[in-house]
Amino acid sequence: MNISLKFLERYVDLPKDLTYEQIAYDLTMRTVEVENIINTADKFHDIVVGEIKEIKAHPNADALKVCIVDVGEDELKQIVCGGSNLTEGHKVCVSKPGAEVVWHGEGEPVLIKESKLRGEKSYGMICGATEVYLGDIFPPSDEREIVDFTELGIDCEVGQCVAEVAGLDDVILEVDNKSLSNRPDLWGHLGVARELAAIYKVPLKPYPTQLPQGLPEYPVEIQEPDRCPRFTATIIDNVYVKESPAWMKTLITNGGMRPINALVDITNFVLMAVGQPQHAYDSTHVEGDKIVVRLAHEGEKLVLLDEKDLDLTPDHLVICDTVEPMNLAGIKGGKKDSVLDTTTSIVLEAAVFTAPGIRRTTSYFNEKTDAALRYEKGIDTQRADLGVALALELFKEIYPECQIKAFTDCYPVKTENAVIDITQAFLDERLGEVIEQSEIEDILVRLGYEVSFDNGVYHCIAPTWRSTGDVSIHDDILGDIARLIGYEYFKKQPLKVSFEHSVNQVKADLTRKLREFLAFRCGFNEIFTYPWIDEKYIHAAKIDTANSIRLATPPAPELGILRSSLIPGMLEAIDKNERYFDEFCIFENTQVFEKGEYHPSTEEETLPVHKNLITGVAAGKNAPELFYRVKGVIEGMPGYCHFEPLTFKQKDKPSWADEKVWLNVLSGKKVIGSIGLISVAALTESGIKNVKAAAFEINTEMLVPFPSRTNEYQQLPTYPLVEQDLSLLVDESVTWEQIKESIKYMVKELKFVEEYRGKQIPAGKKSVMLSLKIGNDDSTMTSKQIEKKMNGIIKVLANKCKAELR
Amino acid sequence: MLEKLEQIRKEGFERISSASDRDALEAIRKELTGKKSSLQEVLKSLGGLDPDMRKSVGMKANEVKNLFAEKIKEKEEELVAKASVVEGEIDLTLPGIEVSKGALHPITQMCYDLNDAFRSLGFEIYSEDDISSEKFAFDNLNFAADHPARASMDTYWLEGTENKRGNERLCLRPHLTGGSVRYLLEHGAPARFVYPGRVYRNETTDARHERAFFQYEALIVDKNVSFSSGRVMIETILEKVFGRKVNVRMREGFFPFTEPGYEIDMECLLCGGKGCKACNHNGWIEVMPGGVIHPNVLRAANLDPDEWTGFYTNIGLDRLVMMRYGVDDVRLFHSADLRFLKQFK
Repeated sequence: MNISLKFLERYVDLPKDLTYEQIAYDLTMRTVEVENIINTADKFHDIVVGEIKEIKAHPNADALKVCIVDVGEDELKQIVCGGSNLTEGHKVCVSKPGAEVVWHGEGEPVLIKESKLRGEKSYGMICGATEVYLGDIFPPSDEREIVDFTELGIDCEVGQCVAEVAGLDDVILEVDNKSLSNRPDLWGHLGVARELAAIYKVPLKPYPTQLPQGLPEYPVEIQEPDRCPRFTATIIDNVYVKESPAWMKTLITNGGMRPINALVDITNFVLMAVGQPQHAYDSTHVEGDKIVVRLAHEGEKLVLLDEKDLDLTPDHLVICDTVEPMNLAGIKGGKKDSVLDTTTSIVLEAAVFTAPGIRRTTSYFNEKTDAALRYEKGIDTQRADLGVALALELFKEIYPECQIKAFTDCYPVKTENAVIDITQAFLDERLGEVIEQSEIEDILVRLGYEVSFDNGVYHCIAPTWRSTGDVSIHDDILGDIARLIGYEYFKKQPLKVSFEHSVNQVKADLTRKLREFLAFRCGFNEIFTYPWIDEKYIHAAKIDTANSIRLATPPAPELGILRSSLIPGMLEAIDKNERYFDEFCIFENTQVFEKGEYHPSTEEETLPVHKNLITGVAAGKNAPELFYRVKGVIEGMPGYCHFEPLTFKQKDKPSWADEKVWLNVLSGKKVIGSIGLISVAALTESGIKNVKAAAFEINTEMLVPFPSRTNEYQQLPTYPLVEQDLSLLVDESVTWEQIKESIKYMVKELKFVEEYRGKQIPAGKKSVMLSLKIGNDDSTMTSKQIEKKMNGIIKVLANKCKAELR
Repeated sequence: MLEKLEQIRKEGFERISSASDRDALEAIRKELTGKKSSLQEVLKSLGGLDPDMRKSVGMKANEVKNLFAEKIKEKEEELVAKASVVEGEIDLTLPGIEVSKGALHPITQMCYDLNDAFRSLGFEIYSEDDISSEKFAFDNLNFAADHPARASMDTYWLEGTENKRGNERLCLRPHLTGGSVRYLLEHGAPARFVYPGRVYRNETTDARHERAFFQYEALIVDKNVSFSSGRVMIETILEKVFGRKVNVRMREGFFPFTEPGYEIDMECLLCGGKGCKACNHNGWIEVMPGGVIHPNVLRAANLDPDEWTGFYTNIGLDRLVMMRYGVDDVRLFHSADLRFLKQFK
């Protein structure tokens, strides 16, 4: 909503020394956020009133005139102009050098410079209305017409800025509509004026509230008082479509709307002033001379101005004559309720519709009109009084010849004032300091409350304009007091920190350790992907979607499935990154979902099953190396992150994994995840061409963190260990695990060094290099002992693994 | 003989001085004092001399021997002092050997910084699941039954539940606040905890809007706390996160689950509060809505609003991270683009 400071002047005189920045600041801090301040005079710089002293023919052009103009400077200026209505002695609109005007009212503003036109010097430009942003206020009758203030009867002085002459020297405060949702009373300048009057402790100016008295009634029937608690109809004769006076057009423009004609402008002006939507119907269109407010019948239609039909349902409230709907109540007019050039008599509606019905209907038709925006926030029935009273005052001013023929106030339900008690003790505690009784009463009275104080309790009657939901409990009153004092004026009160217990959350710390391990120790980059994954990658990973959760309205048709694994997201990330990097490691840690039953908080609430996974890939060229890299990551994880060691076994192949190269990861006997190379099929279907990848995926909820670090100290060896390297020749089928298990008990330490296949190695065999340490617990080994021990080891290897020494 | 010794000494000294490294010096040492050295020859020939001569030549020869030892030691010390481990040339401007360079996501980094700050004030860390029911996402939080945020235009409802109500209508959570009631139901009051996470809104995306974004919410529930403590808490936290004092201001705001509600703005760090494009030229950035927990929310958590109160603070993590690094497009956070993510070491 746009708040015009000039419009506010109708309702309140603010202290003279206040700057508009201060007003914007105070509103932002106490009431509603001002997002932008616009000075409407800014674009009128160097556009002034000039008086044409003399008009001469242009020697080289018939269509142009040479004018001698007084623009309020030391000397007269010569300006060449092609205006159709140039008159000596008249005051006109002159753009001086430096001004920015819009050529023929179209396109970007152009900078005015001193120049020559067909050989004659021209100081600046005598402008038409559309060229200087005045098209709405002084609409020209032909294209070449210039703005003639004398002809328009506007009092002004030579050299005066045109913004001032046209009333466009205004400041507009732009407020985000969203921030007004809970304050329907602020949808209108009167509401904002009330706030400012309360903030600056100044009185409001008087404004009309009187309804017409003693007039005949016009038949109105409300069938749905829950949806329409009040409907007023005023019949006004002897009106016609004409232009509004300039002052009104200016204020409507400043308020952010466009002037149309006086009948429409009056309703828009009232909307901006007091926030009461109104509607003018041509009286002759109302068949049966009666208005009925009812729900639409099944299959009924509303004919719109553009002859299209709106299909109505029985939840839609409509304003009808005795034959058919004329408009969608509080939202949108139909063809029948439009004001036409031939209109001479109108029925003026000022009604109140309750918010829930308006909200349902606007979202059904996706229609957010200015009226609907106000009704859907909930407005008090009393506001109609202000709307009718102001409209009638405007009609009398703009149409002195009009006649108010009839008035009906159909008023089944009145907005009741909210009545709330609040204690001094509650305020003292929650505000954190004691505010004097007199100050509290003063603040509340300034905001329109009626307050009485008795025995520590404030008895508060909220004004009706705050009683449509905004103010309903004592906390709301606390809020009003706090914001009017200003949050910035409250004493800062530090939080008390108690040392009753230490915060010890091993579970919460575990995922952090996992992430830090991968990032800082293993060189992985953390990524985030969306929970909705392109189905292409889900299918590539061969993930079964029978148990998947889907979105009702996904961001795109292919993004409907919520992930049950993080692998598809990894595939997408590899696909995106492989064109920039040959080698990279990434991981993600987040929740995935699948059908099932899970009650995190209450028995009544059943959610799908959530799992917290940590998934990573190493992408690069050498597939076995990538696999061992990922395996090393998982082997190193328990030590860094402090949980039970993990083991590997082939039990259940993950859908995304290579035929041969995969392992399940086990904690105890439970499978908690997998590692493996990404299958050729998954890479191909994902469009991954340049890299191979190894992946791991682990369910973090299955990891059992130690309560603290539990590494145990081991005594350093008293006697030196002897290190020996062995190079073995074994069959391809012999695994490292077999070698390790066979001699583990004979050595102090055993390390794999490398595997080798090559020319010197016979087919079907491989060479395995290992390094081991042996030693005695109670003495230094003698060379004899060493020899004996090594022979023993070699013998066991020969027996169990058919290993020969190389 | 004595002249010859003097000659040996003189030449020997020259040889020692000429040594260019320790190996050469060792060779010279052998040459001067070894079995085949001229000095040894002199010593061997002592037997053929008369006793007086033998004595003086012997003394002189020993003296020369000692002088050589001394001089060689001196030279060796000099050479050690000048020696380098590296033989030959080395280019010191070559880059060092790279360490493994992984990184946490910049959002995670900010989240952990905040966790550390809140932990130091005795807060627990809690996390709610990504999928929630309407009951916890809206009903418990005092959202009106027809509040527009409940519409599918705003919230991602799950297929098959979108036309149900309350406990049975499920969504990707649109905010974190539902988690506050879950925690309070589980742990009761007093409580102080944070619950970071990702939230989801059905929105059109652009450089400033995302469908999935990160929030960081904190709640304190206790007796006798005033909302002005909220501001002090935020100042403390921001100071810790940004490493310097950050000015904040607290102003009127409105949220269904608070009463009163307020907005906490932080001084724009890009322009220092003078006004720039990032802060829409007003010097303040809206980063943290908050407010006093609404009585209806306390009731939903089975707590008596006359006894308990407290306040929320909700930090927009994306916005804070954008401010920290000057990132200008929120969509980068979910891009998985390593050219972006590798910058946050």
